[in-house]
Amino acid sequence: MKHVLRRGGFFLLTLWAALTLNFFIPRFMPGDPVNALRDRTRGKVSEATLQQMLSSFGFKPNQNLGQQYLDYLGNMLSGHWGISIGQALGEPVTSIIGQALPWTLGLVGITTVLAFGLGTLIGVVAGWKRGGRLDAILPPLFVVTSALPYFWVALLLILMFSVWTGGLLPSDFNYDTSLVPGLSPGFIGSVLQHAVLPAATLLITSIGGWILTMRNNMITTLAEDYVRMGRAKGLPARKVMYGYAARNAFLPNLSGFAMSLGFVISGAILIEYVFNYPGLGYLLYSAVQNVDYPLMQTLFMLFTVAVLVAVLICDLATAWLDPRVRAKE
Amino acid sequence: MRRRSTRLLAAAAAICLTASACSSTQHRGGSAATSSSAAASDNGPHKKGGTVTISNEQGQTWTCRFNPFNPAAYLESNGFVYEPLIFVDELNNSAETPMLATGYQWNADKTSIVFTIRDGVKWNDGQAFSADDVAFTFNLMKQVPATDLYALWTAAGLQSVTAAGNKVTLTFKQSAQPYFYFFADQVMIVPKHIFSAGDAAAHPDTWADANPVGTGPFMVNPCSPNNIQYTANPNYWQTGKPYIQKVEYPAYLDNGPANLDLASGKAQWGSQFIPGIQQFYLGKSADNHTWSPPVLNVSLYPNLDPSHKATSTLAVRQAITAAIDRSQVSSIGEGGQEPAANQSGVVLPTFQKYYDASAVSAAGYDKPDPAKAKQLLSSAGYSPSHPLNLTVITITGYTDWDASLAVMKQELAPIGINLSVSDLAQQTFDTKLFTGDYDLAYYGQLTGGPTPYYELREILDSANTAPVGQSANSNYERYKNPAVDALFDQYATADDATQVSLIKQVEAAMVKDVPIIPVTESVDWFQYNTSDIGGWPTQDNPYAQPAAFNFPDAGQVLLHLYSKSAQ
Repeated sequence: MKHVLRRGGFFLLTLWAALTLNFFIPRFMPGDPVNALRDRTRGKVSEATLQQMLSSFGFKPNQNLGQQYLDYLGNMLSGHWGISIGQALGEPVTSIIGQALPWTLGLVGITTVLAFGLGTLIGVVAGWKRGGRLDAILPPLFVVTSALPYFWVALLLILMFSVWTGGLLPSDFNYDTSLVPGLSPGFIGSVLQHAVLPAATLLITSIGGWILTMRNNMITTLAEDYVRMGRAKGLPARKVMYGYAARNAFLPNLSGFAMSLGFVISGAILIEYVFNYPGLGYLLYSAVQNVDYPLMQTLFMLFTVAVLVAVLICDLATAWLDPRVRAKE
Repeated sequence: MRRRSTRLLAAAAAICLTASACSSTQHRGGSAATSSSAAASDNGPHKKGGTVTISNEQGQTWTCRFNPFNPAAYLESNGFVYEPLIFVDELNNSAETPMLATGYQWNADKTSIVFTIRDGVKWNDGQAFSADDVAFTFNLMKQVPATDLYALWTAAGLQSVTAAGNKVTLTFKQSAQPYFYFFADQVMIVPKHIFSAGDAAAHPDTWADANPVGTGPFMVNPCSPNNIQYTANPNYWQTGKPYIQKVEYPAYLDNGPANLDLASGKAQWGSQFIPGIQQFYLGKSADNHTWSPPVLNVSLYPNLDPSHKATSTLAVRQAITAAIDRSQVSSIGEGGQEPAANQSGVVLPTFQKYYDASAVSAAGYDKPDPAKAKQLLSSAGYSPSHPLNLTVITITGYTDWDASLAVMKQELAPIGINLSVSDLAQQTFDTKLFTGDYDLAYYGQLTGGPTPYYELREILDSANTAPVGQSANSNYERYKNPAVDALFDQYATADDATQVSLIKQVEAAMVKDVPIIPVTESVDWFQYNTSDIGGWPTQDNPYAQPAAFNFPDAGQVLLHLYSKSAQ
């Protein structure tokens, strides 16, 4: 119980620190929303008018910074996240995020789980038959692909499967814009089709890490006495592999996975950018470009909370799974 | 917008229920595309039908806000749904096309203008349009200053707007001729019956306007974050128009995907830079064309403040402008897609009649002259053995500008200027440029007008500058010349011929003082596909600025387009 309380306290402290940084760092950035809007309106509208326009949307640059900070903390916690003063001038931040969130969760979330599952499995098998044919090919191959910059992989895939094939797989958007969204097979098919290339890019570039760590954990675990014991007792190979070795080798990977789930929400900025995929990563990019404080600070807040919650759950789960963590107290 | 999407979902669910099989995939607005009802005989030269898809990267998903007073949203409604009084064609000697006004009459000193408002126009919700709506629109800008985007009630000195019968009178404190372009062409007329009720009346500046009611040729139907679909307004006041029945406007987040869709033919109307256009786009199909007319200058902005010793020295600036081979910069840096500029600051061939060729050649700036440049630079105390080190700031990601600056660096090295290029993020660049914290900046004004006056006044009028350290409006180089200011002041009341001669005097100052160094001309990016769509603006028929981001020009283009397959 004491462990849980301590973790909870740490969570709140980190959250406060992160929220404070989220407020101040964007405001130390060069540029301001008025100039960003001036660029986007191609200088047609005078600065004074733009200032007036932004203040009618709730932008108060001249207010006392302390007061702004207190308002901000209150608004973040109470869910009054404000109105965009950037690209989507006038749109409530909640609705902008509401539109982008499902796409990011769907694309990056599912791909992360898939990469983790596949990577772990390949790692287990490769580690079990160390030096075998599979071990000789897959881990080195995916270590190489995971070192490739993922926007480059994305462009390569677009070239190979979209440009050269005359548009076999779509290279932009999340679904065919001529379709009415709904639960029809055509629409769902279109969504899946549009997800193939971005998902493949993420998979290719992220699976290597899981394979490598799982394989190495596996090899370390295989050298343990209890594995040798299992083998000596004549247990079936499959049982030793999954029940004795993999199960223990899996633990460190699991905490890594919890962390990476926290990062899912921040999307994959470059992938969304290259594939014209309207998710949270792209949203963050455009918020920073346009000095859109309300949108930026809400996104940062969500990212922080997602990572912190994931870490908290991971801590609690480890405490529950591993008696040694509890025993230390 | 959220409401709309749930309604669509509900509609899809209803279809599932009634058809008892959830297997129908619905395409948007299927019926509008197939209509080819109107005959050509009495309505005009083309039959109705067809769809055009716009590929104009705006770096955002659509917010489905169409308020014409919201500068972040009006590109998607001005010209499409909302219309101005008179359309002014920037590319064709300010040729005017009457839109919601059939004509106008200035008084002698141009302090008052009477518009005659068109009869028989209807808003797309069926209500009648009248002079009241026009007067209401202008008076709204007085009540809510945030909607007065062009400072008509402040800078232009607008004093009253009244409607009587089908006439609307605008009265100004001083001559308002230079503002004609803004109040006649750039201000979109809004419906009184919508903007005087409910949320729209309470906050006309921040109101979303998700279902815009306008007089224009198209209606939003429907809008989603990914795509805006416009369908033709069946009761449009120009009988028989628009020919095109549907416009798709997908939301592109980046140039890459936008250009890919142009190359594949999925989109027909392009409005951004395509690198390697010959191979990437033009070579793909004989139906792919490009015509990007120049409208503004891209220039080196020297800092003229005395605290910046080198760039405030006239001989240094003269040496730079004499040394740069602009046609090289254009062909290597811009791949020939942006033409070379000239020291007069007049964009050619767009504003040919204002150009004073003799002034430029008399000063020897009509062709590069490295020998003269070397001599000028040595008079300022610099030479190849004792070079002048200058840093030019530019914007990260503008790769064509980087290439252009690389060419200039090569050209300036032999005369004794060691140019180093500093790429800055847009926001950092803006801050430095606006506050005068630089030696040289590579930049182009973002907006001009139907004559060179607009751009030159932005750049040169001392009213648009500010001391170093404070943010300047548009005169970033900090040029102050009372004689030039006076020329701009006279322009307001002058007749056409005098205006041309006034611009020529401004050009003389450009050549003499070299306040900025124009290098290339920025263009309205425009690519178009003619396999099904005809009627595009061309060099021979420049009836409007061709890029989809030009408003209200985009509306003019849409009124000319027609589908060949529907004929």
